[in-house]
Amino acid sequence: MDLESMVRGLHPLEIKVLLNFKGGEEITKNLLMERLSYNEGHCNQAFSWLTSKNLLKEKSRTRRFFYELTELGIKYQKEGTPEENILKLLSQEGPLTISAITKKLNLENRDVGSAYGKLSREGFLSMSEKKEISISKGSCGEKLKDLRNLLNKLFKSGRMPEESLRKEETEILKSLSRKRSSSRGVFKILEREDIIYTITEAGIKAKELLKASGITGDEIGAVTPEILKNGEWKNKRFRSYNINVPPLRVLLGRKNPYGEFLGKLKDKLSSLGFEEFDGPLVETEFWNSDALYMPQFHSARDIHDVYYVKNPSHAKEIEQPYLDQVAASHENGWKTGSRGWEYTFDRDFTRKLILRSHGTVLSAKTLTHAKVPGKYFGVVRCFRYDKVDATHLADFYQTEGIVLGENVNLKTLLGLLKMFAEEVAGAKEVRYVPGYFPFTEPSVEVHIKHPVLGWFELGGSGIFRPEVTEPLGIKVPVLAWGLGIDRMALMSLGLEDLRELFSNDIEQVRLRRRK
Amino acid sequence: MPKIEITENLLTHFAGRKFSEKELEDISVVAKAEIDGRNEEEGLIKIELNDTNRPDLWSTPGLARQFRIFLNDKEYCYDFFSGGKETKKYGSRVITVDPGLKKIRPFITAFQADGHGVDEPLLLDLIQSQEKLCWNFGRKRSSIAMGIYRADLINFPVHFKAADPDLTGFIPLGGEKKMSLREITKKHPKGLEFGWIVAPFNKYPYLEDDSGNTLSFPPIINSAHLGAVKVGDSSLFIELTGTDLNSLLLASSIAACDLDDAGFTIKPVKVEYPYETAYGRNIVTPYYFQKPVVLDINYSNKLLGENLTVEETAEYIKKMGNSIAVKDNKIILKPPPYRNDFMHPVDIVEEIMIGRGMNSFKPVPPEDFTMGKLSSTEEFSRRVRDIMVGLGYQEMIYNYLGSRNEFVEKMNITGDDIIEIKNPMTENFEILRNSILPNLLNSESVSGNALYPHRIFETGKIAVIDSRENYGTSTKNYLSLLLSDREAGFNEVNSHISAVFFYLSMDYSLKEAEDPRFITGRCANIIFKGEVIGILGEISPQILENRGIEMPCTGAEIDLDFLIRTNS
Repeated sequence: MDLESMVRGLHPLEIKVLLNFKGGEEITKNLLMERLSYNEGHCNQAFSWLTSKNLLKEKSRTRRFFYELTELGIKYQKEGTPEENILKLLSQEGPLTISAITKKLNLENRDVGSAYGKLSREGFLSMSEKKEISISKGSCGEKLKDLRNLLNKLFKSGRMPEESLRKEETEILKSLSRKRSSSRGVFKILEREDIIYTITEAGIKAKELLKASGITGDEIGAVTPEILKNGEWKNKRFRSYNINVPPLRVLLGRKNPYGEFLGKLKDKLSSLGFEEFDGPLVETEFWNSDALYMPQFHSARDIHDVYYVKNPSHAKEIEQPYLDQVAASHENGWKTGSRGWEYTFDRDFTRKLILRSHGTVLSAKTLTHAKVPGKYFGVVRCFRYDKVDATHLADFYQTEGIVLGENVNLKTLLGLLKMFAEEVAGAKEVRYVPGYFPFTEPSVEVHIKHPVLGWFELGGSGIFRPEVTEPLGIKVPVLAWGLGIDRMALMSLGLEDLRELFSNDIEQVRLRRRK
Repeated sequence: MPKIEITENLLTHFAGRKFSEKELEDISVVAKAEIDGRNEEEGLIKIELNDTNRPDLWSTPGLARQFRIFLNDKEYCYDFFSGGKETKKYGSRVITVDPGLKKIRPFITAFQADGHGVDEPLLLDLIQSQEKLCWNFGRKRSSIAMGIYRADLINFPVHFKAADPDLTGFIPLGGEKKMSLREITKKHPKGLEFGWIVAPFNKYPYLEDDSGNTLSFPPIINSAHLGAVKVGDSSLFIELTGTDLNSLLLASSIAACDLDDAGFTIKPVKVEYPYETAYGRNIVTPYYFQKPVVLDINYSNKLLGENLTVEETAEYIKKMGNSIAVKDNKIILKPPPYRNDFMHPVDIVEEIMIGRGMNSFKPVPPEDFTMGKLSSTEEFSRRVRDIMVGLGYQEMIYNYLGSRNEFVEKMNITGDDIIEIKNPMTENFEILRNSILPNLLNSESVSGNALYPHRIFETGKIAVIDSRENYGTSTKNYLSLLLSDREAGFNEVNSHISAVFFYLSMDYSLKEAEDPRFITGRCANIIFKGEVIGILGEISPQILENRGIEMPCTGAEIDLDFLIRTNS
């Protein structure tokens, strides 16, 4: 980062240090506390940030010792040390046994024992044959006085540096300090390092930049309701931010990009004048295939092509007059001018329940109540008895529709396909080839040159056979079409495997984007 | 759709010319064929035939015939067909039929083909087209099965019998010892594959010649003796057995035309039935059974959006290999003997389209004005999705099929209303979902590493058994949502539900509920206009444990159809 932007990002704690010290001047924690009224935390932050930015450097580091009273020390200062209290008691009451002293002073045996030991070694106390202790010398010694002085001094000043104490005092302090393992010290020794910092050359430049840009460190950190109310911001500047801090990730609510893709497709189709249809997932053989004039013995109607429902296995009934009319069209063509498929239509089989295997079911059902002229579409879930892999799914979306009109014909069908190729797929080149579907005649496939994917089959289409439309009550030609949009969906989402369109993985779906 | 593999040499031979890659692609259109792949080194071409009603195109001679006719503008004549008042000479070639076959496999057709020795590419092509024909058109041999034999070894008449499966036996092709018919269905690979066709019957179809030599056990396997056709054989006997006479007649006509194209002389065979058929008790095959179809050119012009004259129209139909006669505005089409796909005059319209060429039709944009509209379900679901996204939820899209284990067992429910698939391919797809919550929980179980909180939802369809409905089932539109986090609780999700209802301008209330999927005392039914339309609650730890989820989850599910009905 260049110095200028670094300077803009400095915290007020840093800015004030730079502005208040000269190059070469020694800077310590105490100085910051005195001059800038920083607390210890502020000092540490300022030093750590500035040195990490190489604006301050450490000049020297000195080790120092300090002494403080422990809790016990404070107690002794207030209530007297055991030695002082024993001497006082004996001077008031005369000779006493150790246990009597212990009891009267409410001390522990070992404290009385060690105090007696110390005092007797110095010759202040002696013990009689009756094990009674008495004072043998009138006044107490220097050591006790020194200890009392120390207790009072430390109590008053809280903490004293070693250099402010006499050698004898230091010795007493050390001897009565808490050892690491013991909890019973009177004093505790603290070790501190005094670090002296100076401003670096970069720091001096930073300081100049700060001065030049008028940054004082008194800039406003945050806009708050209070300063907006009291107008404090009016004569102040705002602290600059480091705009290069990486942004934090946000978890947001989002539509599924595949859903958006399908939604856009629906919008597009409805903008082209198509009305959306919808219907149940469970269908009958009748609507799934029979109504589409697929003979009941057709090879694509095998147990290995559609999913059958276990229970219930059959619909109660098929709507009339469609059942009779469709059955007749299979058997002998009914009134359609066809010879039909020439077999006996199975009216039990036709009630069988299956999971709809193509969207054309809904096109057929729509015919029973369609407007003329009319355009309809659906983007609907279908089910196939297929081994699932990157290019095959057991349940998936199909896009299908119909156009009804007195004057629709092969040329309007081609026009419709051209419109889909251009509007839905963004293709410039379109090719039509004859196709085959059991329910349309003639049938046309549309191949397009996609700007990214190259040539591929966009869809299949045709004019519904009269054996499909007439038994369902439609007298006009009906264009039927289906679009294969999966490859475009994958491309739009940057995917290669159809299974990923229906991913369970939350993170994958969260990170997925449309192109 | 059938896919075949043909050799370039054989195609060149039958078509009478070579095709460049581009030429082949262009001409394929007239047969609705797609080039699926090419092996330059071995000279092989893979072709997909889209029209399941044109089995005549599933062989090299058949495909080449369509190309040749189209390019040469020449009609084809085959002179070996009986039919109508004409009966061709059949000599001693007679098949008798056992009355017992009427309910088992009632029909047989046959012919003999004599010529030069059959070479390997032709033999392979013959076998391939026979298999495609019997598999795709003959419904896996159940309605059509074909057998090819060495004609010079056969002693006519041939007898088509209903035989005792245990007392009748022979050495099957590819075998070494004699097996009974029943043994063949139990042990021979072809018997295991196709035995189901004869399994329901007490007697099995059986074909032998007058000397008692076995031809075959149709539709399963030929005999090792008469039924082992080899390269070099110059006299072939071809028979087809099955359940639908028209399909059989068509299939034998196709085979006969193919062999005729290959330079064989087709010799008819008479079949004597002990019962009536659509064409009498005695049928000499190959037999032309097709009926003429009449097209009014006003009809074809209306569908094509053109104004073609009767002469032009006739021209294009002929180009596809059809014989026609013209009378005023009507064209009478006599289908070629190898085709039977003219069910309605509309089928002739497609011949005109292909004969004239797809490019000759100029696209016209649809003229009728119609109003575009999204379904009420879609409109409403979009409103709901927008609110959910605003609440910070990620939309998920799931498969509708799942396993019983995920949707019933792991949800601690009895699953009485769940729709099961009778013929699942795998247990991963054995039921149709009755709720979206298991999908959302599946997501949780694979997303433990995704940054929390997880807020996910889906609006989609579910289906359940519903005996009040005609279909015994009903499909519903649901909203389901799940919140998973360290502190994912009832109250938070209830706030979300309350926001959903607020912005839909609807009211709801909660009523304490017991549900094995949720923690007791932390679960409520969502009530709308007095009806229970959903549920809300903290997911039971047992359910979470069942899926290995280690983060608390709270979920809700609402039947949107109630709301949609109110809205519209």
